Amino acid sequence: MSYIDVLKNAPQVMTPGSSACQGCGGEIITRKIMQIAGKNSIFAVPPGCMAGAGVDGWAYSNGCTAPIHITLLDNTASFLSGVSEMYQRRGRTDVNIVAIAGDGATADCGFQSLSGAAERGTKMLYVCYDNEGYMNTGFQRSSTTSLGSRTSTTPAGKAINGKPQNAKNVPLILAMHGIEYCATASPSNMPDFVAKVQKGLAASKNGFAYLHVFSPCPTGWAFRPNESIAVARRAVQSNQFPLWECDKGEFRLNYKNPNPLPIAEFVKGIGKFKALTEEQIEQLQKAADARYAIVCKLAG
Amino acid sequence: MGTKIALTGNHCASRAAALCRPDVIAAYPITPQSSVVESLADFVYGGKLDARMVQVDCEHSAMSVVQGAAAAGGRVFTATSAQGLALMYEPYFRMSTLRMPMVMAIATREMTSPESIWSGQQDVMSVHDAGWIQVFCESNQEILDMIIQGYRIAENPDVQLPVNICYDGFYSSHLVEGVDVPTQEEVDAFLPAYSLPAKLDPDHPQALDPMTPGALMMHYRRSHLEAMQTALNVLEDVDQEFAKAFGRSYGGAIDTYRLDDAEIALVTIGSMTGTARDAVDIAREKGIRAGLLKLRFFRPFPAAKVARALAGKKAFSVVDRSVCFGWNAGPMYVETCAALKDVDERFSHFATIGGLGGADISLDHLLTTLDLLNSSRNEPGKKPVNWLMVD
Repeated sequence: MSYIDVLKNAPQVMTPGSSACQGCGGEIITRKIMQIAGKNSIFAVPPGCMAGAGVDGWAYSNGCTAPIHITLLDNTASFLSGVSEMYQRRGRTDVNIVAIAGDGATADCGFQSLSGAAERGTKMLYVCYDNEGYMNTGFQRSSTTSLGSRTSTTPAGKAINGKPQNAKNVPLILAMHGIEYCATASPSNMPDFVAKVQKGLAASKNGFAYLHVFSPCPTGWAFRPNESIAVARRAVQSNQFPLWECDKGEFRLNYKNPNPLPIAEFVKGIGKFKALTEEQIEQLQKAADARYAIVCKLAG
Repeated sequence: MGTKIALTGNHCASRAAALCRPDVIAAYPITPQSSVVESLADFVYGGKLDARMVQVDCEHSAMSVVQGAAAAGGRVFTATSAQGLALMYEPYFRMSTLRMPMVMAIATREMTSPESIWSGQQDVMSVHDAGWIQVFCESNQEILDMIIQGYRIAENPDVQLPVNICYDGFYSSHLVEGVDVPTQEEVDAFLPAYSLPAKLDPDHPQALDPMTPGALMMHYRRSHLEAMQTALNVLEDVDQEFAKAFGRSYGGAIDTYRLDDAEIALVTIGSMTGTARDAVDIAREKGIRAGLLKLRFFRPFPAAKVARALAGKKAFSVVDRSVCFGWNAGPMYVETCAALKDVDERFSHFATIGGLGGADISLDHLLTTLDLLNSSRNEPGKKPVNWLMVD
């Protein structure tokens, strides 16, 4: 079935009326994952943009028509491990166990819990929508924030200009856990995205599956809401965010890109990169080249 | 009938947990609790216990895994000590406030700093207001029995709260005593299969714990506090029913020893109580009218029972194995005083602090404490802190 039919036929699980910002990448990602996973699922969505947008519910109202729990910021994977164990025990292997978490809950304080669940091969799908910072609370820096980004805790100052460090390569670290399925995806490449969600759900019946999704954030990154998908596309085309997958240990490059868009083109028009120096652009270019090169090597 | 065998306190905890047929166990090793996890792993890996065993990366994950399993409708168990308890505080608080019943054994241990691995109750006392029911055990038999009773109390539909079964690290966790281990059939007859509905279930979808405004939260907190008070009655009933089934009663929220006609009283908790019983006997032989109140449940605090038991006494001291930093006393002493009306007018009383970081609480310590109480019994009011120093 084509990805368009998949998305056309699957009923919505996330309810309408989310209060996500216009052009929110996380909202597109969450809505589509919930749609593909369906109502026979248990979702965990920790504090972050999607919780703030109301996916976990508010008072007596619900943001999701499937069972959902707002986990702690740092225990999404371990909490779902327990849910998964109990559903395995009850023989309910048909139920999808799915986490949808931001990069803070994934790469920072939730990282130990995530690594533990991955190492144990817990049967679940964990999706990180990576908007490169704590956007829900006003764009503080995270370990996946790109070098040079202006955030509210790494401002573009005279002494220090934006984040001094490169982003942590979380999906590659997860792949090195030897998990069942690991992939990166972008809302700009929807056929690839839908296929990877489906593969991830299938893999979650046998072990741990992880998806790392590029999640453009107009509000925090400062670009126009109608440019979200274009920004995501430029991230893929510039190798800022290479698309790859690792299926039972076998790496594949899903978007071969030997002549990438220069990073200088990717950062254009994105406010958080406005104050980048030439030297920082060079550093970002070097990091993007290295990110692509290592996946090429792994994919043979 | 079960069998009488020699077991450490930790092995009593693991045996009892296994007899309660847990669905999911998650735990992380920490001194002095580790042999609880090890023996449960032995049971599961050896095919003697049909449960899912999740060997986690830390205690925060241990509590999170059992929280998820409980939300999915399972009976769950874990165990920890000290730093592990501190690390799991975040999901620990949430377990009780989500009103999810479970049992967790705690081999109590001093909190660092100073760096220590030895006994003390600072760990549990530091989290006594996280909404859990907390009971302290004197003997290994009591550990085993209270884990079984713990599930009955926790899963009572009017309670639905998690329960800590606490016992002194090393003193109880590693001490071998003879215990009666009941049969599986006996435990099954006393503890029915887990029957509370799963909170996360695609067949009955709901949001578990959506963002909750204050007006609703007020209802939840009031209900939680009321459930704690209900637990005070439920734990007495469960004690009686346990006595009927197994022939052993522990007196419910408190236990007393030679207290009825006593003039002076020691208030104790946990394993020090055995020594205190001997001290009372020796004092009695010397003509001192000494008695003992053993506090079993610290949460909920059995204030009315404590007040009744101490009514008419001339003097008391509470022996704490931990400190309350803001009161120059131990936490049990502070709460015992709070439970007594006009305490300074009616009693001579003082805080006793001992046994920190594995330091011993000796018979001499408690005899000296009784002497202090006896000599001041006719002078009501608060006396200086009695530190049981070990030089």
